[in-house]
Formats: sequence, structure tokens, C-alpha cells
Amino acid sequence: MNRLLLLSLALIMAGPLAAADKKAKKPKTAAQLEKEKAMKEPFANDYGPETLDAKYLKSLSANAQKGYKMMRARCAECHTTSRPLNSQFVETGGKKKADRMKAADALKKSKPHLFSKENKFVWQIEGAIWQRYVKRMKNKPGCEITGPEAKSIWQFLSEDSRKRKLHQEKKWTAHRGKLIADFKKKHPHRYKELYEVD
Amino acid sequence: MHRKLFYFFNFACLALFVAAGIVDNDREWKGYQKEYKRMEIARIEKALSTETDEAKKASLDIALKAARSMPIRLRQAMSKDLIRYDRCTSCHLGIDPAVNALQVNDYTEHPFKASVVPEHMSHPPVKFACTSCHGGQGLATTAEDAHGEIKHWEEPLLAQPYLQGTCVRCHDNFEDLEGAQEAKRGKDLVAKLGCVGCHSFKGKGGEVSVDLGDIADKPVSRIDWSQTTADLDRHQWNVKNWIELHLTRDPMSLVPGDPFGHSCEHLEKCEGVAPSGMPPFFEELSLEEAQAITAYMLGMTDRALPMQYKVPAVKKPVRYADNIEHGKAMYTKFGCAGCHGEGGADGRRNFNALGDGQDKTNLHSIEEMAKGREPTLTKVVGTYSRDELRKKLVDGVSPTSIVKFNPEGPTPPLFMPAWKTKIKGKEMEVLLDYLLSIAEDSGEEW
Repeated sequence: MNRLLLLSLALIMAGPLAAADKKAKKPKTAAQLEKEKAMKEPFANDYGPETLDAKYLKSLSANAQKGYKMMRARCAECHTTSRPLNSQFVETGGKKKADRMKAADALKKSKPHLFSKENKFVWQIEGAIWQRYVKRMKNKPGCEITGPEAKSIWQFLSEDSRKRKLHQEKKWTAHRGKLIADFKKKHPHRYKELYEVD
Repeated sequence: MHRKLFYFFNFACLALFVAAGIVDNDREWKGYQKEYKRMEIARIEKALSTETDEAKKASLDIALKAARSMPIRLRQAMSKDLIRYDRCTSCHLGIDPAVNALQVNDYTEHPFKASVVPEHMSHPPVKFACTSCHGGQGLATTAEDAHGEIKHWEEPLLAQPYLQGTCVRCHDNFEDLEGAQEAKRGKDLVAKLGCVGCHSFKGKGGEVSVDLGDIADKPVSRIDWSQTTADLDRHQWNVKNWIELHLTRDPMSLVPGDPFGHSCEHLEKCEGVAPSGMPPFFEELSLEEAQAITAYMLGMTDRALPMQYKVPAVKKPVRYADNIEHGKAMYTKFGCAGCHGEGGADGRRNFNALGDGQDKTNLHSIEEMAKGREPTLTKVVGTYSRDELRKKLVDGVSPTSIVKFNPEGPTPPLFMPAWKTKIKGKEMEVLLDYLLSIAEDSGEEW
């Protein structure tokens, strides 16, 4: 009886140990590795928040809200979600691409300080900047983001960049400025590489 | 007893001398010379018997005397400048100017025949000898050894079209030469495939793989032949075959590397080595095209050549219709097609990089790893601004920045070199014009 008890005890203990060992040896996925690598070569964006406030999210269109969820799931396979959320990219609005480009040109005239050389890492405003970037990621060999998924992500990033950055100019300038200042302290070499180039 | 031994060794020595005489008399080249002599005498006698012109008869008489007195001996063409001492004419008497001044005859049998070869007139054996163009082992006195497809001889006799590779060595203007069309075709194919994107040629080109500027000089001992046993016998180990195999077989099977790091398992940190990164060009090249490239590559040597043997080419001015056409020429010049395909339309294989259609549940499969791809430019260039694209070309993409399919597998062998020191100014700008012009337009509003 004692032997049977001891054997059962040993089996009960060996189970979790074996599982733990298996877990420790489980290889990292390409996405995890890419994420690790992304953090080895960080951007100031990576140190900002990874999520958005629920109240703010409700103020976005239904498509953009869907895109936010999609971004959290898909983009996070390769890098932190803070990278796009805290990026300096802003896409001007409009139904068609040509309208968005025109809007960017108009903004350049009405708010030239947002396009100044000194502000280039705080504000990078174009008519199709998020469109280009989302498509670039989607077209990377092996990227599994589908066309409709990419469109949904773009809808969020584009709308969010206007609402959270352009429409709250001072708040965004302060937020982005702080991220860069903190980054300079944390990663002086990387800062030089990224933000002190002509 | 001593006397008996003395006689025995005396007779043994005598027998050895006799045997040496018999063997020497039976040399392959002697047989050819005797046969050639017999054929020449018969030909001249026949001509004499039908000739009525007295002057011509007298001339034929002289020729007959010369043929009858032709000594049977080793014949040698020497080029002191090129340090060549070639005994080829010991068998190939038809092209020996000392025996046949015109180097042309009507014989059809090998090795006597001498057909009209204009290059022989412009490359006299006294200046060039034979092997400087034809390859082979000049000092050898048997056909097998002389033709050089033997163990430990690295420069076998070159048949067409490989022979044209030796034109490339001296003639910078070989593309304009009659008779070097295949070498020219090879050069054009090398440009079209974009070999220069990864390989430098005497310092000009990419840094992804070895410099091919002296590939024809590569010692056979520095090549791992272990994966060629199905294709080549030991006596066929030479650079010509090594180059050609890269174009007629999958280079990954020739240089399989060690993708799972078996050779470094004992080390604490161990990363496997990817197989050859060379794309599978055999899928798109015909045998003739592979041979043409091989011929051209055989001209890539670093051996010193006396200045008087070098034929310079006149640089022809090139005019382009517009920046796009100029940029397209730059795309070819810098070998972008090597990784991104012709016109940027087909990203080539990059082992263990991410690629489309990979089965992510099968990370340790060589086939899945081999589905890794370089970017297809037509799909991605449109997502870059001009400045971003310029930065990409200038800085390149380091091998460690490429996302792996199998995170524990080897670093993908192909990467984008930093072109900052090689593509500059106008060349950079027109290349950007071209790249941006090939971007696929999806027609989407987003």
C-alpha cells in the first residue's frame, strides 16, 4: 500500500516537472524573435503606451475600432503595438487618395510649423503615409496579413493619427517630445543613429 | 655464385635497354608522326604523278624530299612571354608551321586535320604556344595527359564554347570579336541575372558572396567536391565543371552548409550555416546558356599578363532615352536582379527567411526553409517615399535584420549590401526613378 502511495506521489510530481521542462525548451516563434529583435533596435515609439484609452476608442468610427483590434492582433506578431501608436506619422483625411494628398498640401500652408525640420521626428504628415507603411508590412515576404485586414488596420491608424495627434496638437507634441527626450537618455547611441541624421 | 649473379644482372640490364628501346619506339606521338609522314609522301607522290607543269613538279619534288626527310621527334611550341612549352604539335602535325607552313590541309582524320582557323593566323604558336588559349597540359606526351582531364591537372583542354573564355582574358574588346559570341552571351546573361549584386568582380559589385574576378584561378583543392559524386568523376574535378554545376544544378545541393548546426553542437552558442545562397538559376537557364556563362567566367583570372598581350577596348558612349532607361541600366549594372529578379518582379530564394506559403508547423524542414524569399520590388517599392528608398539603398539591410522562418535556424545568406560607396549622384537618382516607376499600382483608393 505504501509503495503504491509513493509511486502515485512520484507520478504526480513528475508530471508538472516534465511539462515545465518541455515549456522551457519550446522554441521561440519567428514573431517572438522578431519582437525581441525589434526591441534590440528600439525606437522612441516603443516606450510609449501599448494600448489606447477605452473612452477614446469609443469616439472612433466602427471601422477604426475594428482596425484597432486587428492591429493589436496582427501587428503585435512582429513588434510592439506601441510602435505604430506612438509614431510621428499622421495621415490627412479624405475619401480618395488624391483628396488626402491635397489635404496634406493645404495643411503645409496653414500649419507650416508641423512640417519644419526641427519637428520632423514629432510630426511627419503626408497624405498616404499610413497607407504606404501598412502596405509595406503586408507585402513583406511571409507576412500573413490579408488585404481586408490591412485595409482595416490602415483605417484605424489613419483616423487615429488625425484624432489623437493632429486634433490635439499640443498634447501630442508634448507626448512625443517626452518620448524622444527619454529615449535619448536611455539609448544615446541609438538616438544618434535615428534622430540625429540629416 | 658471384659470376652467375654478374651474368644475370648484365643480361637483365641488356633486357631493360632493349625493352626501353621498344617502348620508346612505340610512343603514341611517334605513331602519329610516322602515319602523317606516310600520308604526306603518298599525297605528294599522287600529285606528282598527275602534274604536267614542270615548275610545279619541281616544287612538288622539293616538298617530297622534305616529307621524306621529316624527322620523327618531339615538337614543341614555346612562348617565353607566357611561359608555355607545349608539345601539342608532336601529334597535331597539321598545325605545326614547321611541317605545314599554311596550317591548313585536307585531311579529315584526327589529329592530322587542320582546318581554316583565322585565330591561328593571328595567334602564331611562336608567340602564344597552344595551351595559353586551348588549355590542357602542354608538356605531356600522351593524348590523355595532354588533353588534361586527369587527376591533379586543373586546366583541361577547352572545347567550344568554353574556349572563348580565354579570349576574355586578353581582349577587353572581346564582345566585338568574331568567334567570341558565346562569351559575350555569357557576359550578357551574367548582367541580366544580376550576379554582380552579390559577387564582386575585382572589387566592383556586392559583398554578399565571393569575388569572382579570379574564379578561373581557384585551386581545385579549395573546393569541397563531396556533393558532386553523382555528376563528376575524380578526373573531372576542375573549375570549369565547378562553375557549370552551379548553373545546371541547385547550388543548395552543391553547398548544403550545416543548417541544423550539427558541427557546432558541442559549443554553448551554436548557429547553423545556411546552404549556398545562390538562387536556383538552373530553373531558368538552358544548357547552352549555362555553358556560355561558364565560358565567360573562365576568362576571370588574375594572372599577370605581359602588357603587349592585352588588347584594350574603346569605351563606347552610351545614351539613354530618359532617366527611367538610364535607371534600368543601373539596375542591371549593380545586379539588383540577382535578389529581386528581372525588373524587380520576382524576389529570389533566401534560405530560412520568411516566404509565402511556408508551413509554420514544420520549422525544421529544409523545403520549408527554402521557401524564404527576397522582397519582390514591384510590390514593395511603391510603399516607400523617394527619400526612404534612397536611405534603404545607402544603408542596406544587415543579415541579422532579416526575419527568420525558423528562429533557431541559420541566418539567411542573402542580404542587401550598403551601397553608399558604390551608388552615388546621378546613378543613384536615376536608379530611384526607375525603381519608383516599376511599382505595381493596385488601383485601390487606400
